[in-house]
Amino acid sequence: MNAIEIKGLTKNFGSKQALKGLNMTVPVGAIYGFIGENGSGKSTTEKLMCGLLVPDGGSIKLYGKDYRDAEVRSHVGVLIESPGCFPNYSVWNNMLLQAANLGIKNAEAEVRKVLKIVRMEGAASNKFKNCSLGMKQRIGIAFALLGNPKLLILDEPINGLDVDGMRIMREVLADIAKLGCTVVISSHVLGELEKIATHYGIVRGGKMIKEMTAAELEASCRTYVALQTKEMNRAKALLACKYSRVEEDENGLLRVYDAKEPEEIVQYLYDNGILISEIKTAKIGLEEYYIDLMKEGK
Amino acid sequence: MKHELRFESPSFGKRLKGMLGVDFYRLFHTPMYYIFLAIAALIPALILGTTGMTDPQTGVATAPLYTNAWNAIAADSPLYAFSNIGEYANMNMVFIFGGIMVSIFIGHDYKSGYVKQLFTTHAKKQDYMMSKTITCAFAMACMCVTYLLGAVVAGLLVGMEFSGNVGSIIIAILSKMVMSLGWASLYTFLNVIFRRYFGVSIASSFFFGTGLPIIAIGMILGNNLGSVLNIFLYGSSVYACLSATPLTLAVCLVCSAAWAVIYNVAGTQILSKCDVY
Repeated sequence: MNAIEIKGLTKNFGSKQALKGLNMTVPVGAIYGFIGENGSGKSTTEKLMCGLLVPDGGSIKLYGKDYRDAEVRSHVGVLIESPGCFPNYSVWNNMLLQAANLGIKNAEAEVRKVLKIVRMEGAASNKFKNCSLGMKQRIGIAFALLGNPKLLILDEPINGLDVDGMRIMREVLADIAKLGCTVVISSHVLGELEKIATHYGIVRGGKMIKEMTAAELEASCRTYVALQTKEMNRAKALLACKYSRVEEDENGLLRVYDAKEPEEIVQYLYDNGILISEIKTAKIGLEEYYIDLMKEGK
Repeated sequence: MKHELRFESPSFGKRLKGMLGVDFYRLFHTPMYYIFLAIAALIPALILGTTGMTDPQTGVATAPLYTNAWNAIAADSPLYAFSNIGEYANMNMVFIFGGIMVSIFIGHDYKSGYVKQLFTTHAKKQDYMMSKTITCAFAMACMCVTYLLGAVVAGLLVGMEFSGNVGSIIIAILSKMVMSLGWASLYTFLNVIFRRYFGVSIASSFFFGTGLPIIAIGMILGNNLGSVLNIFLYGSSVYACLSATPLTLAVCLVCSAAWAVIYNVAGTQILSKCDVY
């Protein structure tokens, strides 16, 4: 069974078509990285899944049932943009109110448990309006975790956080991944997503252009040889004659994508009078894979 | 690997109980509620306290709005079309201020993002409409009580006459309190329609709260034919007057409950068919 199954989802905002028949499949237990440019339809898809928007066409099934089904909805935890808290109430009271809405019996213990998961036990008495962005995002995740959900939908929980906030959030998300629930996370911070995701979905222009597992991504990510020499320009020109894709990266290294072995490059440049000072093989990450995919589309 | 997951279905009672708990908590922990209770008490106090005062410039006493303090609660007879402000200014004004209170209360749901948090859970749109209606109806009924207290205290302080049939007065007050349910459902409905426009929702609540559309029809029909207006919220509210009988209470009950159902169903439909947030 799939936790989420979306078929032919369409959504229009006036004359703008936000989703153009989007399909999406999230298996039970997956940590699904939902990736796409701004305005590609990620948040719209998530809001539709959560019942905040009404679709114009297509179907959304959660655990095989209609997404509006109250039974299923009671097991979905959501963080869309920011948590819906009352600013003048304390974090603790806001949490208790949400627990009451969810009909959680042992509310105080449950709230304490989720605040511990998100490392917010010490800030429970703070007024929500006095919390930092990082704290608010973690409170949002705590909200989503209330009631022991089987499916978590997190809309860009990492974005906008400082280094420390990002580190804490990474730890929190790693802990959540261990809880065993299905998680959908949309984010632009692909480096962070890559550390936890088991599945990916890449959306562009309101359509799903690629869905794959982390293993498939690993297999799809091309190996490249990165090298450095004192004569970068001449080396680049020479290598470009022999290999189809040669680029200089942000670290000042030359990347050769379709070389079989580094030794053949070393030999080739040596034969042309160029000595290499540094050489290594590496694989492109999710971020580069995504950028490549977007370039191909354009 | 086959995954089998079982979900518990939260009952209607459980869902509504949780939501009502939150709404009543918010009501009692919001200064706005107590401010509006105070406003409700001040309205009759100001009306009764200032009526008949001497103009400091001319030295002439103004014509008193009432001679009987109970007229601050309701008119002597159902006056759908009134001839002076004293026939209009009574406990029905609670519903005008109540409308503003409901707009602020529900507007805060959207401003804070609470509805977003709510509708992503098992909460149904129908539960939301019902919970808001019940909570706001309670708040308005409480405003009726403080209005009554304000009228009585001010009437005693000013030394006004308290005359009338006790039974009719009690029925009139109860009838107006009963009308709170219908009015609360109207305001909840208006706030659901104009959920993205806080200013419009307040203005619309104020407009309908004044009863102007019904008063306009009442002016055309006249007070004798005006009883047909009892099918409307303002009409029934006017019908709850100092000559009220048990029939008055029954009419108010039916009218209030019927409109509450109509507005709740309509609001639920709108919320179900439109984007919530």
